[in-house]
Amino acid sequence: MSSSPERRAVIHDIGYRTYDGPRLGTGSVATSLFTTGLLNAYGFGRSAKAKVLPLVVLAIMLVPAVILVAIMVVVGLGEGFIDYSTYATSLFLIISIFVAAQAPVLFSRDLRSGAIVLYLARPLSAAGFALVRWASLAVAILMFVMLPVLVLYAGALAAEADVSEQTGDLLVATAGIALLSAVLATLAGLVSALTLRRGLAVGAVVIALLVSTGFVAAVQSIAVVEGNEAVAVWAGLLSPFTLVDGVQSGLLGGTSSYPAAPETGVMAAVYLLTALAVIGTGLALLVRHYHRQGKR
Amino acid sequence: MNATITRLAARSLFGRRRGVLLVVLPFLLVALSMAVALLTEATSAVDPVTAVFGLGLVLPLVALLVSTGVIGPEIEDGSIVYLLATPVSRLSVAVSKQVVASVVTVVLGAGAVLTSALVLAPGSPGQALALGLGAVVAGLAYCGLFVALSALLRHGTVAGLIYVLVFEGLLASWLSGLRYLSVGSFGRRVAGALTDDLDLVVRDMSLVYGVVAALVFTVGGALVTAHRLRSFELRGDD
Repeated sequence: MSSSPERRAVIHDIGYRTYDGPRLGTGSVATSLFTTGLLNAYGFGRSAKAKVLPLVVLAIMLVPAVILVAIMVVVGLGEGFIDYSTYATSLFLIISIFVAAQAPVLFSRDLRSGAIVLYLARPLSAAGFALVRWASLAVAILMFVMLPVLVLYAGALAAEADVSEQTGDLLVATAGIALLSAVLATLAGLVSALTLRRGLAVGAVVIALLVSTGFVAAVQSIAVVEGNEAVAVWAGLLSPFTLVDGVQSGLLGGTSSYPAAPETGVMAAVYLLTALAVIGTGLALLVRHYHRQGKR
Repeated sequence: MNATITRLAARSLFGRRRGVLLVVLPFLLVALSMAVALLTEATSAVDPVTAVFGLGLVLPLVALLVSTGVIGPEIEDGSIVYLLATPVSRLSVAVSKQVVASVVTVVLGAGAVLTSALVLAPGSPGQALALGLGAVVAGLAYCGLFVALSALLRHGTVAGLIYVLVFEGLLASWLSGLRYLSVGSFGRRVAGALTDDLDLVVRDMSLVYGVVAALVFTVGGALVTAHRLRSFELRGDD
């Protein structure tokens, strides 16, 4: 074939209009991926069957709060009789089920189906994709835990409890819940990105969240009976729930719901640093994993 | 029973690196028992470690992972139709898969419970045997229930989790009547009948009821699974 200039292939202009509207940048890709992820975590934008589980679990999560508010209003108590910061730790089973069931939705499906290649072909980098997915899951967990706490807060205000005291408690609880959501999202996201089959991913996340908590509970109850408080406090570092509970009670003045909580400022700082280190390391591993996926 | 299906189910459980996940839980239980036995002298640790953590959490989770592992993925990706197209009765398919799940659960789950009790209280092997036997009974019943659940539902794993955590863990501690439907309490009842050393609160449930109910869960699970496979239809993903 000759390659003279006259014979060169030409794309003919057959009159289609070109796009001249605004071009949204990478930031917009990230925002819409974040919103979709957040909605998907609750089953919106997916099949009707996918909505059942998250919404049922959310309803179960709300039931105790509604009952408590009802009791508070009927009995006429002037103040909330449950500490906001203990709500999350008392319902850690429900939270774990939600996280275990929904983390694979955000982290396993793209990787299993191969759709990840298409996502990573877009301007958003692998690291950006991983972080946005993580943010969706963290915010979904935050909303899941915050909603019943806000119901309690609204109930307490409606029962004319002391506003400044209640608000202070709420802020402490909010900080704790934000940290808890970040830690849970990191662990669950990492585990379900590494375990692709759904049933297996759910099981692996549960092992990471619940078995560690059961493990810590067993160690702490034995150590406290034996009078060995130091071991009990160090053991608390091994489970996400006791870890955040320790930060909340040690640094923020919340109430601990476990037999052993850090009493000195140094130990509480160790708890906080461990929580931040878990988030940092987990995110680094997650980003590295997605980076590798993009290269395949 | 069909030897080939059994072999394939076992391979799907332990193939590649999936077996690692199954071994983690029993390993944690035994490691915790060893650590506690080294650090303390008291044999009172059998209750929080072996009975609550082992029998109450590790055993059901091992059973859940194993049971959903033998049948769940095949139903999810639809490859079970090739198995169902073979001239093997559906009951035989269900039983073969459940037997593999049960054997693995008994070896890993009940084995870990037995080891844990022996490590913590080497002086009373009778108590360890009682806990081990209770774990075997509960493990078999759990497998029947979970295999049936993962054959019936898309979210078999999550449904099983809700059963173990919410139904057995949360609700049964408030509404004590639910112990008549809780597989864990059948296991504890059997263990409690064989030893006097432990206070395994199941109150006045009769031993016969516990054994019969566990048997109903085991056999009923296989029958439900077989029935489900008989009327199996293909579905798309999500």
